[in-house]
Amino acid sequence: MKTDLFIIGGGPAGLHAASVAATYGIETMIVDESFSLGGQLRQQTQQLRNLPKSFKTQTGTALAKQMIEKLRQLDVTKLVKHTMIGTYQDGRIGVTDGHRTIPISANKIIVATGAAEEACAFPGWTLPGVMTVGAAQILLNREYVRPGKNALILGSNNFALQVAKQLAEGGVNVKGIIENKERMEGNETETIDQLQKIGVPLYFNSTIQRAFGREKVEKVILNHGHKALEMDVDLICIGKGLSPILEPFEILDCHFTYEQALGGWLPVYSLSMQTSNPSVYVAGNAAGITDMGAILLTAEIAAVSIAESLECVNNADADKTRKLLWQELEQIESESFKRTFQARANVVKRFQEETDLSQVNGQ
Amino acid sequence: MDESTIICKCEEINLAEIESAIQSGAHTFDDIKRITRCGMGPCQAKICSSLVREIISQSLEVSLSEIGLPRMRMPLKPTRIAALAGKETSSSVVSVFAESAPKEGDES
Repeated sequence: MKTDLFIIGGGPAGLHAASVAATYGIETMIVDESFSLGGQLRQQTQQLRNLPKSFKTQTGTALAKQMIEKLRQLDVTKLVKHTMIGTYQDGRIGVTDGHRTIPISANKIIVATGAAEEACAFPGWTLPGVMTVGAAQILLNREYVRPGKNALILGSNNFALQVAKQLAEGGVNVKGIIENKERMEGNETETIDQLQKIGVPLYFNSTIQRAFGREKVEKVILNHGHKALEMDVDLICIGKGLSPILEPFEILDCHFTYEQALGGWLPVYSLSMQTSNPSVYVAGNAAGITDMGAILLTAEIAAVSIAESLECVNNADADKTRKLLWQELEQIESESFKRTFQARANVVKRFQEETDLSQVNGQ
Repeated sequence: MDESTIICKCEEINLAEIESAIQSGAHTFDDIKRITRCGMGPCQAKICSSLVREIISQSLEVSLSEIGLPRMRMPLKPTRIAALAGKETSSSVVSVFAESAPKEGDES
């Protein structure tokens, strides 16, 4: 199969990049390993804050529906239940549906693989009943299954707090949120207020010493300051943050860099969201962990830049659009976590240094 | 964590095994993988990669930014041999595993 633009990942970044690119008249194909598009938006039932100006405030599930509906009216080929598993030497991408492997040749590629949740090891963490906050949220909002009766949340970032709130509202007795630092990591005051109203206790300077149980979690012992606390729980949700999913970048020969504030290792990229491989672009959480507004904006920047390089829009117009998008990105990220945007600027600077260096060496 | 805490669920590798690999000179994820099989199970290091790099960072007192990622190889996700081989004689197994160019007629 052949296409101008091939997008890996059908979450918010991939979907938005696809609709922007197709609106510029670019022939676009989007692949996702799941049976449906939407990615992690499919279980985000909360109102999304800080979306770009072109989006109205809405829930994640509504946003996914809206973006999928938009793609229906555009020239976009959708490959669901297909997984990218590698590349051929001639640059074509290998995608499998589980029965056969299909080579796809594309002019440009956007990697929008999103993020994976970090694990946290403690004695007993392999018992059934221990899962990530994201897994608990899928069970609750997508499968309508209560993942447990008495829950403990490990971690206090915004996502962990949001899931804690949703579990409590879904009838789970959230016995506590534990944080190893002395203050909360998350900053969404609305969620924090609601958790306080529900009466969920917060344990700072605390870690899990051990989880016990016959065949599943039944009990947990916490190190709370200098004391040990015992709790009867059948669910432990690990909310230790996210990191970018990187497998396709290495296969596509992209260089990596490290930024703690963006989730660790990630590809270096330019102001056009172009990686060190000129035909590969990056969008969304794969370009650094951030919030939904920034995920959508990076996707739009990548799509506009590809439209520019495929001559579907002239340089002046692309430049103008890109500048406005970066301004909005800075504004959105500075409102939530300033460190995120600073780290992003470092990544772009490193890309520039690499490019300058290769030009010097080439001469 | 204690010595018997499992770090790699897929291959059931515990903390003691990883620490002993580090004592034998391992200082990257791939070193530990080669010595212990850590990260070689169905999830292909997707869950344990950060945990192991954290342990290396603490044991050797180096920052996480100096501990590289595990090498990521094709196929990126567990894939049936049949899906790579296809039914035709023009085998894409050669293409994907040997990373050579596919033959004419591979495209479908």
